[in-house]
Amino acid sequence: MIIQPGIAKAKLGLSREDVTLEDHPLNPNPDSRWNTYFKDNEVLLQIDKDVRRLCPDFSFFLNPTEYPCQLIMDPENEYETLRKRVEQTTLKSQTVARNRSGLTNVSSPLKASASHSLSDIEPLPTGSEAHWEVVERILFIYAKLNPGIAYVQGMNEIVGPIYYTFATNPNSAWREHAEADTFFCFTNLMAEIRDNFIKSLDDSQCGITAKMERVYSTLKEEDEELYLRLQEQNIKPQFFAFRWLTLLLSQEFVLPDVIRIWDSLFADENRFDFLLKVSCAMLILIRAQLLEGDFTVNMRLLQDYPLSDGDVLPILKKAKELQDSK
Amino acid sequence: MAKQYDVLFRLLLIGDSGVGKTCLLCRFTDNEFHPSHISTIGVDFKMKTIDVDGIKVRIQIWDTAGQERYQTITKQYYRRAQGIFLVYDITSERSYQHIMKWASDVDEYAPDGVQKILIGNKADEEHKRQVGKHQGMKLAEEYGMDFYETSACTNYNIKESFTRLTELVLMAHRKELDGLRLASNDELNLAELEEDGRKADGTANSKSCWC
Repeated sequence: MIIQPGIAKAKLGLSREDVTLEDHPLNPNPDSRWNTYFKDNEVLLQIDKDVRRLCPDFSFFLNPTEYPCQLIMDPENEYETLRKRVEQTTLKSQTVARNRSGLTNVSSPLKASASHSLSDIEPLPTGSEAHWEVVERILFIYAKLNPGIAYVQGMNEIVGPIYYTFATNPNSAWREHAEADTFFCFTNLMAEIRDNFIKSLDDSQCGITAKMERVYSTLKEEDEELYLRLQEQNIKPQFFAFRWLTLLLSQEFVLPDVIRIWDSLFADENRFDFLLKVSCAMLILIRAQLLEGDFTVNMRLLQDYPLSDGDVLPILKKAKELQDSK
Repeated sequence: MAKQYDVLFRLLLIGDSGVGKTCLLCRFTDNEFHPSHISTIGVDFKMKTIDVDGIKVRIQIWDTAGQERYQTITKQYYRRAQGIFLVYDITSERSYQHIMKWASDVDEYAPDGVQKILIGNKADEEHKRQVGKHQGMKLAEEYGMDFYETSACTNYNIKESFTRLTELVLMAHRKELDGLRLASNDELNLAELEEDGRKADGTANSKSCWC
């Protein structure tokens, strides 16, 4: 499934089976393994960009894991690590770009990678992996197994809290299998929420647009005054609820609060209906501010949700109330 | 009470994922730079009031998600904008090539007369440069746009480019502005002009309050 044209065989001094007359890096044929390899690299690069910036105000994901994937780390097995693959891919494009007017001006790849900017993260020594690298592998394999949806930005925010929960379990037996457990849970969770990530479903009955509308229709039933106010100010649910619903609120709160909310979401058998109730509760709880604020103030509030007393429990309580009143 | 602003309008930031749209915006509105931002999902919104030739201009800036998947959502914002930044990353040839696609989306979805500026961001990362300055200039010329290389990291050309786009929008609406100078107690709400006539389900009969 993970295609690595010929890296192993070449090392053993055998003839290079990866570059043949039938298949080679310039082969445009869609069945070409090389072609697939390059396409996969694009997905990988996007994932790489996003997992490196997972929870940036929080060092956990940058730290090394106690349990790097042995199978891949073992030099006896000739697996190409994703880290290596990303490095090679980014360097490749650099070299090509420096060809000018027939003059092949290839700059040293080493020099380019040595002069890194602020945003680059120091790679960990060979043999160890950062937590974000484990998350990267989970997302890449998910993308390979689910080519229809592959990787969409935001999935990183979904897998992050799940992985964090497993990888910080006090019991080392749990921590050791964090990667596999996260993959399993993430795949199952995605089975339920994947429609949110599929563009072509946006305007269908099960797509994100319909869900956003339902937040407002619930609000209209529960608090018509507030609903009318938001309508009047032309604050559409797309301006804030898109992110709330797609990411299951993971960007709205700090990680411990996200985990607390997810506990309730996942414990409820109608959990994604409950998410709509939670969203609605969030609006109602700040109704006084929203009724007073103008467009700008309200957009701020909704894009940067103010948590009273730093506690999410009132939101969950209100959401439950809304659910039970039905 | 003194007016908070004379004119209000909307600007939009578009371009590939990871070119630094959110960083440009944060540098401009809050004078902050964070090397790693979480990726923008859907849209983000910020506001700033600046003074251009004695006119107090309040701008709403909408920052969009760059990834292909989010384009059905972000396209809804095009027709509501008076000015658009098309952003690429000078260290990414691909993001530069995609400007063509972004520009044709603008043609398709944005209102006629929308003002545009081309931005080549990350100008501080000279050692990684893949797109020459002349390439940016040439492309901008083809599209009849102004061009700036910027760096949110070193705060290079940020204020200049935002001010320039603001000026262009003001010039494009000179007629309405001249009217404003006569009746100096009113503010000109370009953002709201766009809204008129398409208010949903008749719930809003009073004037929208944007101030």
